[in-house]
Amino acid sequence: MNEVDISTILASAIHESKNRIGTLLYHTHSIKNHKEMNTDVDKTIDTIEESLKQLNDEWVEYLYLYNLSTNVYNLLYDSISVSEFLDDQVFALEGSATSKGLSLSFKCDDDLVAVFDERLITSAVTTSIYNAFRFAKKDIILTASIKKEFLVITIEDDGSGFLCKENDELFATKNTGLGLYFCELSAKSHAMKETHGYITKEKSSLLGGACLKIFLPQ
Amino acid sequence: MIDFSKKKAILIEDMAEARILQKKMLTDFGFKSIDIAMKAESAIELLRTKSYDLILSDYNLGNGKDGQQLLEEVRNSELIPNTSTYLMVTAETSIEMVMGAVEYQPDGYITKPFSQALLQRRLLKLVENKEILRSINLALDEKDFSKAINECHEVIKKHPYLEGKCNRIIGECYINLNKFTDAKKIYKGSLERQKMPWALFGLAKTLFLMKEYDSAEKKFKQLMLDNKFFVNAYDWLAKCLIAQNRHDEAKTVLIDAIERSPKSILRQIELGKLSLNLKDYFLAEMSFRRAVFLAKHSCFNSPEIYLNHLRSIVGLASQESLMPRQKDNFKSTLKKVEPFQLEDVAVCTSIHEIQVQFYLNQDDKKNAAEALSLWQADYEEGLANKPSEQHKVTLDIEG
Repeated sequence: MNEVDISTILASAIHESKNRIGTLLYHTHSIKNHKEMNTDVDKTIDTIEESLKQLNDEWVEYLYLYNLSTNVYNLLYDSISVSEFLDDQVFALEGSATSKGLSLSFKCDDDLVAVFDERLITSAVTTSIYNAFRFAKKDIILTASIKKEFLVITIEDDGSGFLCKENDELFATKNTGLGLYFCELSAKSHAMKETHGYITKEKSSLLGGACLKIFLPQ
Repeated sequence: MIDFSKKKAILIEDMAEARILQKKMLTDFGFKSIDIAMKAESAIELLRTKSYDLILSDYNLGNGKDGQQLLEEVRNSELIPNTSTYLMVTAETSIEMVMGAVEYQPDGYITKPFSQALLQRRLLKLVENKEILRSINLALDEKDFSKAINECHEVIKKHPYLEGKCNRIIGECYINLNKFTDAKKIYKGSLERQKMPWALFGLAKTLFLMKEYDSAEKKFKQLMLDNKFFVNAYDWLAKCLIAQNRHDEAKTVLIDAIERSPKSILRQIELGKLSLNLKDYFLAEMSFRRAVFLAKHSCFNSPEIYLNHLRSIVGLASQESLMPRQKDNFKSTLKKVEPFQLEDVAVCTSIHEIQVQFYLNQDDKKNAAEALSLWQADYEEGLANKPSEQHKVTLDIEG
């Protein structure tokens, strides 16, 4: 996705969000009429909470996406304990994973410290985890390490992987593609001297599914 | 697990729903003492009288000062100790303004909306970190900067991931100790490894203090380019220009900064002073009028602000005839500064001198003579210094 018109992207993103709000309204309706509809109220409230959280995360992503693509975003570099960072990501989305019957975990050296924009990469990793939610069968794992002047954050799952045909079609049209595009922009916006960040899509060596790598120059 | 029950918290939030929710969360974490402020101005009053272990402040605080300005003011005036924890609640759109303000940053931030579990986690981590840095912060509060530097080195040994944070403190300590060469070395070392804004700012500030204005100016300009929310870089650039006697350029820079962020009282005062020097009384009057407005609930409230506002109007009167509105402003600011004169002979003297000159500049000799006789009376009571001979002569000969 190069040279994409940002307003087209955002319009389609808003369209998708709007559909989600329709579902939310249906859920509130079913709570309101829980007696006639025999609704499991607690479960429905959990679902609503999950959806709202995801909507919020997506809107944050769109905000950053807009700012990045119109060059108004100011990167805030900070030195960050990477294991704590990954722990934060797992903590934020563990509940969502559990409710989908998935396990979400991370592996990282405790001493690893790296420099990046925490908010932006939080949003990129969150987006990637939501993507993985759609394809993973059981497991999603986050890892991080330093490889030749780059911090590499990987998001791996045990789904059918990037090379599967069904996925390819999804990339071109739906949220997954937008998420990857956002990750790419976020990585690229990180620069040390002349070196910029980037992403790669590979087959997961740990879990056999998709493996997204975010490379951030150090 | 940290016991919050003995810790004191202040919650600063203008929205009622959020306030109730956050207070409940803090209570659930074990806090027993939670004070509430709805605005930055009332928070300052509380912070003046009590000390808190935790300050949980929203960025958006309605019409008055915002959370960042509150933070800058209480940090700058040392109203809160370095040992207390400052957690800022922000929206996704204001986070850039908070973390982009390189000079003063909160200990941590959390973006809305957040769950109770997330707030608890953030809070625990922050307080844990603060515990690790406690010996450093205690030394800083005692202004024992050499000790703070030693403590920083100890912390780095045990917790390498805190190296950046500690180096930042070490740099500031060297500046406070006037060891500029050492400060420069720390900042340059940090910049070699990573392009951290705080290190660039520290270096620029050090160069300024070493009177290397050319290089400092370049660095401040770089900071302004890199961090558009770092408005304080404008203030520093203006200082640099003033030091080089480039007053008109400094004025332009400060006007620009005020357009971006008008609620900073120190910035208004700086522009006011500069304009007084340049005899731009119109701009001086406007800046000090705003400063007077901001002073009431500020840590930087001082009689000098009011006196300078009065002096600007006196200056205006020497150039043109005053409009009724300007005369009203004079009277109203005069009233506000009067409480200060009881304790301070210098203030009392300045008030009398300004009043005499105010009438003289309007060719109102009758009132000028009256003001002078009141001054003489206060002098005889020992409340003010002796009226200057020049005033007496002017009034005796012409009056």
